[in-house]
Amino acid sequence: MKKLTYFPGCSAHGTSEEFDHTLQKVMKSLEVELEEIPDWNCCGATSAHAMTENLAMALPMRNLVLAERMDNQVVGIPCASCYSRMKTAKHELEAHPELARKLKEIVEEGEFKGTVDVKSMLQYCYEDIGLEQIKSLVKKPLTGLKLACYYGCLLTRPKDVTQFDSPEYPMSMDRIVEALGAKATEFDYKTECCGASFSISNTEVVIDLSGKILEMAKESGAHAIVVACPLCQSNLDMRQPDIEKKQGIKYGIPVIYFTQLMALAFGYPVSDLKPGKHIIPIEPALAHIGEVTEEAPKKVAKPKKAVEAESEEN
Amino acid sequence: MITLGHDIKNPLLEEVNKRSGENILHCYQCGKCAATCPVSDHMDFPPREIMQLVKINRKEAIFAANSTWFCLTCSACSGRCPREIDIPRVMETLRHMSIEENFSLGSKKVKDIRRFHEIFIDMVKKYGRNYELRMMAEFNIRTRNLFKDMHLAPKAILKGKIKLLPGAKVKSAKAIKRMYEVAEKLEKSK
Repeated sequence: MKKLTYFPGCSAHGTSEEFDHTLQKVMKSLEVELEEIPDWNCCGATSAHAMTENLAMALPMRNLVLAERMDNQVVGIPCASCYSRMKTAKHELEAHPELARKLKEIVEEGEFKGTVDVKSMLQYCYEDIGLEQIKSLVKKPLTGLKLACYYGCLLTRPKDVTQFDSPEYPMSMDRIVEALGAKATEFDYKTECCGASFSISNTEVVIDLSGKILEMAKESGAHAIVVACPLCQSNLDMRQPDIEKKQGIKYGIPVIYFTQLMALAFGYPVSDLKPGKHIIPIEPALAHIGEVTEEAPKKVAKPKKAVEAESEEN
Repeated sequence: MITLGHDIKNPLLEEVNKRSGENILHCYQCGKCAATCPVSDHMDFPPREIMQLVKINRKEAIFAANSTWFCLTCSACSGRCPREIDIPRVMETLRHMSIEENFSLGSKKVKDIRRFHEIFIDMVKKYGRNYELRMMAEFNIRTRNLFKDMHLAPKAILKGKIKLLPGAKVKSAKAIKRMYEVAEKLEKSK
């Protein structure tokens, strides 16, 4: 049994309960024991770093210090915003000793020595568990399901902080869903921002940005969008009816956590995915599982511009 | 390299460079950031222009604009910047400076964004964690827009998306409170 220090983040007990719930199931199947950081606090994302320099570092640092008291080498974090704050804090504290000295005064739990690494749960699944082990646990392959894998901004950016996958066109989630038997579509908007924390304070921007992502996902032929971030999920799912109203287009495209799909493929019943949590129902997309799709001979997709240029020539 | 304001005294440039750890004079105005930024269209000045305004010492123009408040810190710009400038960091530094100087905010939208951040930070101070429904309610009250997002509330509560009661309060709420106090004190003594 492997052990992993776990930082659930505030949304795990609210908007993203289904992420946390399926993550727990999946980790059990993968024989990873999650050890929650005792008495963790909110990482401050995104308001603390928007407003103050000190709290932006101190809030995640306290969690890092608490995590360091445990025996494991890695902290796994499901939420992309929490992950970004904790990884940035680690990065900054290690790079700037004078900052670490100042922060020692603010965080009474002690200093951060840098002995734990911080990984998103997506990164942990891809790097530490690996596709082979994931594949070996698949009992019910998701064949026939076409998925647009949406990473958002913070899982891969900034590159020197995250040091994971590609900041422009990441593939780790695509490979995971393909290991589960599904098909990942070619999706150009996989790292575009959804509007993040503006959901409440600047809703127009979220409607605009998330609207473009839904449009591109639909165009890629996906039955559903796969995410690894609670904020992306709630912007794309909870705001979808508002976006449809604004654009006058019906998308009806569900937004599913990658761990929900892993749980399903590992043989857990749909009820374990907590489908009732979704505003856009997931069942119609899941009905595509088992469909036999004609596998067209693999051809290299031409960029849109080239296709347009060709049709102009003709 | 030709850079405006290179040998003229520019206190804004000096402070931004010092606090952000970046060198804005490296910017050669290619505009890749503005083209990449998902909120460029919503900004008074896209990132490229903010960089230029720093170079020519136009602090008030930057503080009065919505740009630093609209930045989502998505890092799309910095990832593509050929001069490898951490533009979100610069935006954040400028925003922090405007807060410290108590610059009065222009548009209602900017005030809303700031209000949201303040409510969030207060909530963490009180509970150690974030409590989504209370935050939304408080935001609506303090921005005098009681019915905002009310169409989402019944569904979100029914589906257990947002909880009516606060979750577990961090046991060491005392430590968090102290953290806030020391952080504030150090920020002021700067």
